[in-house]
Amino acid sequence: MAEPKNAPAADPRLPAFEQRIGRGEKIEPGDWMPEEYRQQLIRMISQHAHSEVVGMLPEGAWITRAPSLRRKLVLLAKVQDEAGHGQYLYHAAETLGISREEMLEALLAGKAKYSSVFNYPTLNWADIGIIGWFVDGAAILNQTMLARCSYGPYSRAMIRISAEESFHHKQGKEQVILYARGTALQRRMVQEAVERWWWPTLMMFGPHDQASPNTPTLVRWGIKTKTNDELRQVFVNQTVPEIHALGLRLPDPELRFESSVGNWIHGPIDWDEFWRVVKGDGPCNAERLATRRAAHEQGQWVREALLAYSRRSGGAMAA
Amino acid sequence: MSDTQWPRYQVFHQARPDRPHLNAGSVHAPDPELALLNARDVFVRRPPCVSLWVVQAADITGLTAEELAAGQWPERPAEPGRAEEPYLVFIKREARGTHEHCGEVQGSSPQQALQRAVREVKVSPALVYWVCPKRSVLASEPDQGPSLFGPAQDKPYRDQAFYHTDSLMRDIRRNDGQEPEGS
Amino acid sequence: MNTGTAGALAAYLLGLADDELILAHRDSEWTGHAPILEEDIAFSNLALDELGHAGLWYAAHAELLGENPQTRPDELAFLREPADFRNVQMVELPNGDWAFSMLRQYLFDAAEMVRLEALVNSRHKPTAETAAKIRQEERYHLRHTAAWVRRLGLGTEESHRRMQAALEMLFPYAEQLFQPQDGQAGLVDQGYIPSEQATVADWRGRVRQDLEGADLRLPEAAESPAASRAAHSEHLAQLLSEMQVVARSDRGAAW
Repeated sequence: MAEPKNAPAADPRLPAFEQRIGRGEKIEPGDWMPEEYRQQLIRMISQHAHSEVVGMLPEGAWITRAPSLRRKLVLLAKVQDEAGHGQYLYHAAETLGISREEMLEALLAGKAKYSSVFNYPTLNWADIGIIGWFVDGAAILNQTMLARCSYGPYSRAMIRISAEESFHHKQGKEQVILYARGTALQRRMVQEAVERWWWPTLMMFGPHDQASPNTPTLVRWGIKTKTNDELRQVFVNQTVPEIHALGLRLPDPELRFESSVGNWIHGPIDWDEFWRVVKGDGPCNAERLATRRAAHEQGQWVREALLAYSRRSGGAMAA
Repeated sequence: MSDTQWPRYQVFHQARPDRPHLNAGSVHAPDPELALLNARDVFVRRPPCVSLWVVQAADITGLTAEELAAGQWPERPAEPGRAEEPYLVFIKREARGTHEHCGEVQGSSPQQALQRAVREVKVSPALVYWVCPKRSVLASEPDQGPSLFGPAQDKPYRDQAFYHTDSLMRDIRRNDGQEPEGS
Repeated sequence: MNTGTAGALAAYLLGLADDELILAHRDSEWTGHAPILEEDIAFSNLALDELGHAGLWYAAHAELLGENPQTRPDELAFLREPADFRNVQMVELPNGDWAFSMLRQYLFDAAEMVRLEALVNSRHKPTAETAAKIRQEERYHLRHTAAWVRRLGLGTEESHRRMQAALEMLFPYAEQLFQPQDGQAGLVDQGYIPSEQATVADWRGRVRQDLEGADLRLPEAAESPAASRAAHSEHLAQLLSEMQVVARSDRGAAW
């Protein structure tokens, strides 16, 4: 197991800290923690928060085109939840001593990462169903694992988010089931969406284990309890049979079932594409950030006006 | 004029009349009224709720069990001439839990309120104490309850049980020969 | 209730439903673009509620006409031509800035509150029940939007300027919410709906108080742009072409 790059000088409180984690105890705000633990968590939690907020954009764009009152209602509720999840996660990060201003500044300056899957465009209505099934399905697996995270506020945020995410997953799957067995146009639409979203979803689980430098530290400190490849395999095993049962095809000519291990083995992931998108060169990276920047800048006069009002009112409690 | 994300307000949520208020998280808001309204939209989309409290994070003074054991009281002495007033006491009782409203003490400063809370509000274990002046809390009005908390109960489509994908998929796979009958 | 009355009441409810749908649609365009995360959540909530209200009024409209309340609402929303919509022009206007959208929502919420307070006493029980249900949510909307109007009006010189400009534009349009339509006189006489004269007077009193409290100057009473709800601006066709595009791509499909 590789040691982290800048291994901290042995702090006398470190063994007790690691024992607490070993006992399954939660680390809470105000408890002593190694600086690297704090920084890893700030990085992970704020990235997660940014992902939720940026993720509102590709889906939110289709609220105005949702084809029934029910779908419109449900998509609006889903995107609203995502804003709420971002909110819970920013709060969890704030308990570690970083401010929301700092996190937003990093995001808008292109310095902070967020899940690359949201850098792909949503090109037809069926993308919304597929995102719910694939992307939220993958997120649920990740979050269920993170709910066991040693840092209390993050673990609690994951539990709250997972409860809501389940609805996101199912509403998407319900649509895909309907369209896969619907009209010719719907079947074509959903097949096309499957082909565009399959590989980006698999990439959501991150690089292969041997290429993940942070994982050993994160596992030792109870931040991660399952590896990238383990989670990816669970997702593939769950999803492939159901996709096939609906008569849909996955864009992977090498996909095969290995009965000796009971796993669906997928073909090679295009890691060049993955790193290009992570580094900011994906189809929508620039656009996503530009949209967030515009919203932030256009909102400045609003934020300032409300602060001015509150100062003038002297913090009075009444409306 | 500096542009900020507004001050943080801690939010306390009461699920039922016979339960204490619990810390649900925080919201950013410019003032107490908007903090209350935002708290409703952020924290009461699904769970039952009968009361919400919001208090600016800056008005809360905290003390951990570790600090207490080391005698490290926060430096929040009394303003001269400040009379005694009620302080609400919130205590975190277990590592996995959040702060719970446990009672009230009188004090003329946050420091004094904390000292009295430790002495008078007996719960065990007590991992972290929070106190804040009662006047800095904005509470939802009881008569506003139906319009604040009622609507969330009326949106079944937000509940995953509204979607029958499991049974749909089972039927499809059964017909496809993927799953045996009776599974 | 005779057929003529049912038809007139159904037409009235269709207007309410169309108002809610188009306004919800406009509000939903802010999702992901609001000035701060908490308000993204709050404004989406307003849109969600309004969409729910639209569904309820469409269903009530369908029931009155003996149509299927499960399927008719989607047909009305997604398959009608712009000329057949009966919303007021105020809700179809593009969003403008945050001041414009928030003020429009406030003016609408205040009007809806006054109207609902009367409709809970409607002689038509389903209408009264729907109104009672919606009123709970509207109480919250009005609290939220009134708080914002006050803060933007009194905040900074810039927010005040934007609010005043929005008010100059929106106020004449808002008056259209109270224009009586053909065939409604009988509904008022028989106790199905309130008189628009009483409603608008009540509304004017309430908004005057809130707006002047926010240091905003009410424009002189002006002619509202269109008396009939059948007349629309060019914005509605654009809005509907986007809203209906997927539904119309395969009219026979279940979505």
